[in-house]
Amino acid sequence: MIKHQVNNPEERMILVCCGTGCLANGSGAVYEELCRALEGNDRYQVKTFAKATGCNGLCEKGPLVKIMPDDITYCHVQAEDVSEIVEETLIKGELIKRLMYRDPATKQYYRSHHDTDFYKKQHKVALRNIGEIDPAQVQDYLERGGYQALEKAIKTMTPEEVIEEVLNAGLRGRGGGGFPTGLKWKACAATDKQPRYVICNGDEGDPGAFMDRSILEGDPHTVLEGLIICAYAIGASMGYIYVRDEYDLAVKNLTTAIKDARKCGYLGRNILGSSLSFDIEIVRGGGAFVCGEETALINSIQGNVGEPWDKYIFPTEKGLWEQPTVINNVETWANVPVIINAGSDKFASIGTEGSKGTKVFSLVGKVVNTGLVEVPMGTTLREIIFEIGGGIQKGRQFKAVQTGGPSGGCIPEKLLDLPVDFDTLSQAGSMMGSGGLIVMDDRTCMVEVARYYVNFLAGESCGKCVPCREGISLLLDILTRICEGKGKLEDLDLLESMSKTIQQAALCALGRTAPNPVLSTLQYFRDEYLEHINNHRCPAGVCKELTEFYIDPELCNGCGRCRRKCPADAVTGEKKKAHEIDLSKCITCGECINNCKFQAVKVK
Amino acid sequence: MKIRIDGMETEVTSGETILEAARRAGIDIPTLCYSEAFGGQGVCRFCMVEIEVGGKKRLVASCTYPITEEMEVRTATPAVKEIRRNLVTLLYRRAPDSDLMKKLFQEYNCDRIEPVDPEESCIMCRLCVKACEKVGANAISTVLRGTEKRVATPFDEGSEECVGCSACADICPTGAIPVKEEDGRREIWHRSFEMSRCEECGKHYTTQPVSEHVKEQTELNSSSENICPGCRRKKLAAEMAKVRLHVD
Repeated sequence: MIKHQVNNPEERMILVCCGTGCLANGSGAVYEELCRALEGNDRYQVKTFAKATGCNGLCEKGPLVKIMPDDITYCHVQAEDVSEIVEETLIKGELIKRLMYRDPATKQYYRSHHDTDFYKKQHKVALRNIGEIDPAQVQDYLERGGYQALEKAIKTMTPEEVIEEVLNAGLRGRGGGGFPTGLKWKACAATDKQPRYVICNGDEGDPGAFMDRSILEGDPHTVLEGLIICAYAIGASMGYIYVRDEYDLAVKNLTTAIKDARKCGYLGRNILGSSLSFDIEIVRGGGAFVCGEETALINSIQGNVGEPWDKYIFPTEKGLWEQPTVINNVETWANVPVIINAGSDKFASIGTEGSKGTKVFSLVGKVVNTGLVEVPMGTTLREIIFEIGGGIQKGRQFKAVQTGGPSGGCIPEKLLDLPVDFDTLSQAGSMMGSGGLIVMDDRTCMVEVARYYVNFLAGESCGKCVPCREGISLLLDILTRICEGKGKLEDLDLLESMSKTIQQAALCALGRTAPNPVLSTLQYFRDEYLEHINNHRCPAGVCKELTEFYIDPELCNGCGRCRRKCPADAVTGEKKKAHEIDLSKCITCGECINNCKFQAVKVK
Repeated sequence: MKIRIDGMETEVTSGETILEAARRAGIDIPTLCYSEAFGGQGVCRFCMVEIEVGGKKRLVASCTYPITEEMEVRTATPAVKEIRRNLVTLLYRRAPDSDLMKKLFQEYNCDRIEPVDPEESCIMCRLCVKACEKVGANAISTVLRGTEKRVATPFDEGSEECVGCSACADICPTGAIPVKEEDGRREIWHRSFEMSRCEECGKHYTTQPVSEHVKEQTELNSSSENICPGCRRKKLAAEMAKVRLHVD
């Protein structure tokens, strides 16, 4: 126990993270246990109550419990820990060391998550309320300034002024396209057709991305407020939130939020006494990745197959039911109330020349602190991965970071100091996408990575246009051959030529960006392709047909870890003597190399 | 409004597609999924052209791009040609058994490629689906997604909606839809239909549901006779021949 007294506030609030990650780790039980422990207990000096919040971002350490205003954060809390938290912290006012955040690098303990590198470097705009409020309580949102932006817009600004403000803020679409949001609104408002629609694109489908889910689950009212402000600005009568059917909690919290917003008069007829009448419906998506593409999404809402159409006429002119439609991503909507409240100048003071504000990234892969982070545009990849993310797991070497989802690209170590924004990532052959960051270590084969993503796209392309459907099929075929050691040098030319055709001729953005994983790995990791083709060797030791492991007798101290981990009994050796791998038994699963603490297992 | 296509100035109406304008001007843009009956689908991307508007160049599908402003269109730039050649390679790889793709593969001088399935001939142009939709039957559609996408009836079973008209097979540019006609029956899409005989020549010429479907759709209840198109023409010609022209 650390001798560190907690404060003695007027009222104490215990926030239990009930984001999907923490819930999966038992935070629901923690919350219930805590409510039971607090009920009817009069031993507290102050009024104490518990709240279930949305995702705090540091999923790696969940379930998280925060005690406010003392500003204490406990990690990996289980229901069994509740009585100790009550006795020691809430009653005696002492900290419980084993539940405190411990920095993986410095081994230092932290009282509050605010002091950790993971949070210190972050700047929360879109995620400002998440983890701080109970998403099922509109009162919580109101207490943090919720719906003030809507009131300001309706009561003190004209629709044109609202659009101008969003335009001046320089807000760009957070779903990946990066199209200026204000321009969309302006174009839609300029049409002469009625009715008009607004849509929230919550069809988050990138493997490893969960920022939209976290916002919808943890702060649904901010999305609603964004939509209503836009409805006022462009004169829309109906809004739709398209959300993946798998996002159960998001749908539940959104449903509650919409009902509450109607009760409070933020949705319905004559909102806040104005002439604006607007309502919102939830549409549950069927789980096709391509429905994140806006025209495919519109088709899906209309009950058609989720296939995109050529956007030579933008949805702002001809969208849902062929009517003018503004469609923005969840995170974009979450930024709108902030822009109206704080003003475009304040918003535009964050970020880079071409990309204003912040961006939420889901930081996953071989990084120490996996989770959700929000940083100003222009933060370098190095800062995100090594300072916020705490570096690479198990002290391994960084190799690449995959950004932008399956049709993004892989960025190598030499570009780690790249300030991240929409334009720099595109220039580097990748893209912002919705903000997925998948960190890869030296045990990653870049050819296999390209094959993995192309395989994902082969299943998730809608299959409508030839370059995407047939082009991806061919790319996958070639990449699989290379991974199996059957690649030829001329395959690389074919990969590049076909990739170019797909980029130029595919119907939608999914197709046009589908070759990115191939082209970016060819650009930055061409040597690895050549090793596979010319020397039938996978340098990372991933492609089974091309991998042979051996143990360096100079480095092996005979600890026996690899011998115990080997599922095929292929490792032999006496204690404290160099071990050996029997290649006739080895199934190249990589357990030995992944578990060796002395880097003694090598790839031949 | 006037635009230039391959250097040739041509008059266009706002909203018409580049492909329509080009065809009218006698400029050939190759297509695989286009039919005048259905308009552009934007599926095959074979009709990609380069457009230049206000000094900015971009590649677009001419069958779906509506002309709304002055522009310069180029239908055969090196980039456009490369796209077409690659698309032929990709479609030949998918449908090596189709005569059309064999011919285009030669014509575009493509490099050898390993086909996926040597017996496949469907290029997924979807003209069959469009034809079925236009007929009003909606018996076939594309199913699945990604590289698995194909044309099928629901659950690959005989569809109640199918009338056996074979419009799908008739419009198919690669002969990929099997139709078997034997002993007065037509087999298509997992179904077998009894055929109607022409009252004049006695040949089987269509399926019974089609005769009924046509009557329903067109409300031509009066023309209840079952006559094949050939005999109908002959009969009409004979009627015409009877008409005497009075010349004073």
